[in-house]
Formats: sequence, C-alpha cells, structure tokens
Amino acid sequence: MYLLSLFNIGKSTIFTSQTALNVTSHNIANVNTPGFSRQEAILEVSTPIAIRGGFVGSGVNVGQIRRHYDNFIQSQLLGQYQNYGRSTALENAFSQIEQIFNEAKNMGLSVPLSDFFNSWQDLSTNPEGQTQRTVLLQKTESFVIAAKRMERGITENLNNLNQQISNIVDHINNIASQIAELNERIMSSEGSLNTGQANDLRDQRQNLLNELGQLVESSSYEEPDGSINISVGMKSLVYKSEYNVLSVKVDEEGDREIYLENSNITFQINKGQIGGIISARDTIQNNQLKGLRRLIASLIKEINLIHQSGYGLDGSTGNDFFNPLDLSFGNFSSGAGITGSITNLSQLTLDEYEITFDGSGNYHVLNKDTNAEVATGAYISGNPINFEGISVTITGAVNSNDKFSVSPLTNVIQNFGTSISDYRKIAASGSFAGLPGDNTNALNIIKLAEENLSELGGKTFTEFYKGIVSDVAKLTSSASDSLTFDAKLLEEISMRRESISGVSLEEEAANLIKYQRAFEAGARIIKVTDELLQTVINL
Amino acid sequence: MRITTSMIFSHIASSLQKNTEEYAHLNERLATGKKINRISEDVSGSVNALGYRLDISINDQYKRNIDKTNIQLDYTTKILDSVSNSLINLHELAAMGNNAQSEDKRMFYSKQAADWRDYFLSLSNSKLDGKFIFSGNKTDKQTFVYNSVTGKYDYQGDNGEINILIDKEASVVMNIQGSRAFSISLTEPLPATLSDGTPISFTQAKDPLTGVNTITVEIGNSGDPDYDTFTFSSIMDIANIMSYAWKYSDINGSSLNSDPEVAEKMALHRIAALAKPIDDARVQTTGIQSEIGARQIVLNDQSKRLSSSTLVMQNTLTKIEDADMTETATELLKTQTALEALRASASKIISQSLLDFLK
Repeated sequence: MYLLSLFNIGKSTIFTSQTALNVTSHNIANVNTPGFSRQEAILEVSTPIAIRGGFVGSGVNVGQIRRHYDNFIQSQLLGQYQNYGRSTALENAFSQIEQIFNEAKNMGLSVPLSDFFNSWQDLSTNPEGQTQRTVLLQKTESFVIAAKRMERGITENLNNLNQQISNIVDHINNIASQIAELNERIMSSEGSLNTGQANDLRDQRQNLLNELGQLVESSSYEEPDGSINISVGMKSLVYKSEYNVLSVKVDEEGDREIYLENSNITFQINKGQIGGIISARDTIQNNQLKGLRRLIASLIKEINLIHQSGYGLDGSTGNDFFNPLDLSFGNFSSGAGITGSITNLSQLTLDEYEITFDGSGNYHVLNKDTNAEVATGAYISGNPINFEGISVTITGAVNSNDKFSVSPLTNVIQNFGTSISDYRKIAASGSFAGLPGDNTNALNIIKLAEENLSELGGKTFTEFYKGIVSDVAKLTSSASDSLTFDAKLLEEISMRRESISGVSLEEEAANLIKYQRAFEAGARIIKVTDELLQTVINL
Repeated sequence: MRITTSMIFSHIASSLQKNTEEYAHLNERLATGKKINRISEDVSGSVNALGYRLDISINDQYKRNIDKTNIQLDYTTKILDSVSNSLINLHELAAMGNNAQSEDKRMFYSKQAADWRDYFLSLSNSKLDGKFIFSGNKTDKQTFVYNSVTGKYDYQGDNGEINILIDKEASVVMNIQGSRAFSISLTEPLPATLSDGTPISFTQAKDPLTGVNTITVEIGNSGDPDYDTFTFSSIMDIANIMSYAWKYSDINGSSLNSDPEVAEKMALHRIAALAKPIDDARVQTTGIQSEIGARQIVLNDQSKRLSSSTLVMQNTLTKIEDADMTETATELLKTQTALEALRASASKIISQSLLDFLK
C-alpha cells in the first residue's frame, strides 16, 4: 500500500506540474494581451495520511489558479481613465477652435478688422476717390467672409461635438450590454463550479470597464456574486445581467443631451470623453461663438449708427453700411406667436432675453446676460412689450410654462454683409454741404476703432477680440497641459498595474524550467516506484 | 518594483513617442522660423504679439496718411511760391502807378497785369489727383471762375478743412482753402491817404460761409469828380482791376470817366491804392507757407516717431515670436542624439531574454 501511494505522489507531481506549465504557457501566450492579468498556479500540500506515529504526505495538488490583481490600483486606474477621457476630448475640441483663432499664423479676424479700418483711413485722405471707396467695399467683403468662415468653423465644430456625443452614447450602450452579458457569465461560472474566480472573463470585463471609463464618468461596485453594477449620473446603467440604454435628445437650443432612465443626466457627467465634450461645447458656445457674434453685432450697430448720419457722394443719407441687425426668436409656447423689431438701435445692449409668464397673468422679461428683469407687466395679447431698444408683440393665450427667447445675436453673422453696393453711397461726409471733400463722418468711423463700447464691456473692438483670442489660447493651453498630465499619470498607474498584473517573460521562462524539472522528477518517482515493485514481484 | 516585459516595451514606445514629438516640434520651429506656431504655445506672448501687429499696422496706416498729406502740402507750397513771386511782379506794376505813363507802356502794363491775373487763376485752380485742392470740401468744383456779369472772380469752394489722422488723437489739416490763399485780409494800419494826399478808405467784409473777404475801396470824398469806389475779393480781381486801370477803364471795359484827365487821375489812384492789398497778399501767402511748413514739421516728427515706435514693436515682436535658429538647431541635434541613444539602448534591451539562454 505504501509502495503504491508512491505512484500517487508521482502522479500528483506530474499532474500539478502540467497544470502549472499550462498556466505558465497561458501567461506567455498572453504577454501582449491588453488588460491580461498574470495567473499563478497556487500549489498546496495534499492531505496527509495518518499512520501510527504521525502523518505521511500524499503529494501535491493545485489549490487555485490565482489572478494577480490589485483592486485599489484598478479603481485608481478607472478614475484616471475618466480624467484622461475628459482631457482628450477637451484638448481635441479646443485645438480645433484654436486653429480658427490662430493669430500666430494670421488666421483670425485681426488682419481683416484692421484692414477694414485702414480702408476707412485711406478713404478719409481722399473722400471723393472712387478707388478708395471701391477698396473699402472690397476690404469689407473680405472682413465679412473672414467672420463668416470663423463662425462656420465654430458651428461645424459644435455640430461635430454633438455628433460625437451620439456616437459615444452608442458605444457606451454597446459596452453596457457586453458588461451585462459578462456579468451573467461570471455569476454562473463562479457560482456553479465553485472553483474560484473566472479570471479571464473578469479581465475581459475589466477591459470594458476601463474603456467605459474613458468615455463617461461612472461609478461601479462589485456584488458578492461577482457581478459589477455601474451607474452613470446617479442612474443605473448596468445591474447584474440587466442594462439600461442611454439615449440622446436634442434640446431647445439644438444641443444633444443625454438621458438615462428618463432623466436628463447631461450636467452630472463631468468626466470621461462625454464630460469633456459637453464642457467644451458649452464653453465654446458661450464664449467664443457668442463673443464673435457680439463683436460683429457691435460693429454693425456702431458703424451703422454713424454711417446713417453721414452723406454719400450722391447726396443720400440715412443709409446703413452693414445689413441692419435683426432679432431672432425662440418660441417655446403651446401656441402663442411672437414678432418684434429693433426700435432704437442706439439703446440696444446686444444682450439676449427670455420672456416668461407667471400664474397671475404677468409677463417678465429677463436679460439673460445681466440676469436683471428689464420689463414686466400684465400680459395682454397683441400689446407691444418694450425693453432696451426692442419691441416685441406676443399674440395668443399663454401659460406659466410658456417661454420665449429674444436674441439680436443668433443670426448676426449669417446676415452679416455690406448693405450698400454703390460706392457713392459710402457716407464719408458729415454734411450735405461738405460734399464731396468732407471726411468728418469717415473720421468718426475711424475713431470708433478706439472707442470703449459699453456693449463690449467697456472695451474697444480689438481689445474685445484680443480677449476672445486670449481665452481660446488659455483654454487650449490648459487643456493640453491637463492632457499631458493625465496621460502621464495614466501611464504611471498603468505601469503600477502592469507591475503587479503584467507578464514577465523571464519569470515565466524560469517557471517553465522549474515545472519541467518537477515534471521530470515526478516521472522519475514513478519509474523508481515501478522498479521497486519489480523487485518485490521478482522476490 | 516588479518589471514586466510589456512595461519595458511600453516604456520604450512612450519614450520614442515623446522624443519624436519633440523632434517634430523643433522641426516645425525651424521650418517656420517662429517660436509660436499656435497661440496656446505662449498665451500672453501671442496676445501681446497680436497687439503689436495691430499697432504696427495702424502705424503704417498713419504713415501712409502722413505721406499723402505731405504730397498735397508740398504741392500747395510750390503753388504758393509761384503766387508769392508773381505778387512781387504785380507790386512793381502797381508802383508804376505813382506817375503817369506813356500809352505804350500803359498798354504793356495792362497786358502784363492781365497775364498775371490769368496765371493766378490757373494757380488757384490747381488739381491734384483729380481734385481742386483749393476748393475746401468742394473738391469737384473749379475753385475760381470768372463771372462775366460782375466782371469778378467767384470762389466756388467753401471753408471746409480736410483733417487727416496722423495718430489716435492727432490730426493735421491737409488743405488750404482758396478763400485763404487767394482772397486777402488787409492788415492794420490801413492808409488813410494816398501819396498825393487823396483820402482813401478800405472796408472789409468776410463771408463766414466761404471765408472770402470782400474789400471795398473808396478814393476821394463822395461828391468829388474823381471820387472812385471799387471792390475786389481775390488777387485775380486785383490783377484784373489793375489791367483795366492801366487802360483807364473799369472792369466792365467802360472808361473810368468821360473826362480823360479825371479818368487818368482815377486810374492812377486805383493802381496806387492796390499796392497795399498786394503787399498784404504777399505777407499773407508767406504766412500760409510758414503755416504749411509748421504742419510739415509736425508730420515729419510724427512720421519719425511712428517709424521708431514701429521698429521697437517689430523688435519686440521678433523676440516674442521668432525662434532663435541657432538655439533651435542645437536643440534639434540634442533631440536627435537622444533619439539615437534611445533606439540603440532599446534594441539592446529588446534582444535580451532568458529564453535565449535556455537551449
């Protein structure tokens, strides 16, 4: 009996070594597999057999196949993936916008803007000159084209960002469904076989989690049954083998917003690529796009005001130089209509307004830029509502959920253009009597370039524009700095994870030899045992 | 720390990536010659550079304005030079009026005065770049035209000044109105008598709209047979009156008096009376010329100031924006060396494995 147990010991050695070699080979095979966690066969002494006077060993067996994995580092890594995702999205978005405002390569508006005013200067030195007048009209056209190109660049980028949101949401849904499926498989394999963890499935799921982390800010925790639950914006994305679908809806302003379980969670997502995209989109919309529109609107307003008071070579007066400003309305009501116009250009603040109604039948006009109520009163259908140089008329029944927006900025660049085509109508003269040699009106327009304008926050055109450019530069530079930092940190943490979970070929080569030798020794045991048995049989 | 195979590889890969990025960046600097190729590379630098570029552009514009103003003022000075020289000759003709002259001479003087008159008229109607430069704002109107009804030269321009910006706040007037250059204001003291004791009076009336000064001259006492009165408002008028006076006639061609002796006396009085206005016209012209000179000094000073401020700004701009080529080239070489070293060491590390030794 004792002799035969030697066979068992030899056999256990061979089998265990085989398993260990198997694990080692699996590690070697996956040396380059992303997210793979190194596995190790944990060897255990087999239960000894009691004999008189003590215990006799019965060989070895594999206790478990352990996955080298550090939960803490993994959660750090996941968090860093979210930061990294945000940084990449921000850097990506702002470096696109930077190209539009890249004054380092004379790509922005500063050259056309100064050319425009310089042409007025040239005109002032020769107010009756056809050449100067034609050049002015040409330079104005270049300025208009430059402004339109910049706006189009910005809006295309914004559309692109909105499109990206949809694409990423699709991707997230795909990942969520895969994680839910893996949850199911992990739960069933770990639960039924009771042989420890489903290492490779867990690695797969971890990879998906990391990928998800890059895309969206989420939090996750593991259930005792091995499944992982994920929530996004306080709403459940994956619960065990179930998952909810993220959806995208377009809001009043044409922006895409994200919904989960019927709630708008857009503004709860700060990290991940989506967080970065949303933040970049809102920043670009409120700063660069609105800033550019405000600048152009201010230019149109101020130049038209002065131009109207001057006289063209043909004796005409009261002409606009640029196409006049115009209001655009947003109607978020159940059936009422809104119309309106600019009644006093000089009073126009170029701010945007929102008209709401309260339960007692009063309207409230809110200046969205100053957050001040600029007009209020009892609502009577068809009665004009006047505020800050604007008059609007709302007709129809309204309720307290209804809302109207009024903006002189929305279409400003779209409508931007020279109002006059006849060079003689350029009003360089300040009076009819002064025609054609008087240049006082041209001088007044030139002086505008140096004027601090209240609608530009007390800045001149160029100062205001420089502010926009410097904002773009700051945003891009800080986005690029954060990206560098986050990429570096991600690399550091990945290295630490790699240090624990990664495969070292040297180590595996050594293990290969180690278990080969053990295998050989185990075989030797069997051979020796066989010889011993032979001896016994031959007695 | 446990080092794994993929750590070594990813470390090598990321170092290579970083080095190559740096290499490409330096290469861009060398290619463009610029340190700042994107505004985010140097936020305050690029915004400052933008400011400098705009300031340089407006400086250049002011310099163009100055050049243009200078051309017109130069041209105006030249014309006024001719006016002033011609006035000397006209004055000599007036001096001849102190004595009676032979008919031949009188006709000759009359012809000369008429020539000066026409010369003044052509000077006053000078054009530059298609514009009548002495017409104030009415640059499309001929400055002076002969009015065949009154026999006088009418100013068709106005009092308009054309201001040209030469700095944010400073401007210089580019033109001299014809009403100043060719119409005369007499300076005190005005003579009360002519050299022969005949009383004389000058009355001036300035048209506030055009700036034209009309002077009425009265010679003798009202009721005297040789009492004479006439008006003029430009040096063309003066030369015209003189030309006719040498013919003993009024500007409409009719004789000054039916009595030849009285007519001669009146004509000589007229000619003598014109000496003062001609003198004043010359002083006035010189005055305007020195005023133009003063304007041009301002222009030239401003032009120099603009040039030097542009130079300073361009230097600063270069410092902010331009890459130091030597430095960049050296950096590039350094990066290149680092890149080569990295490749060499990477190939060593990668080729080593325990598996190679297990034969």
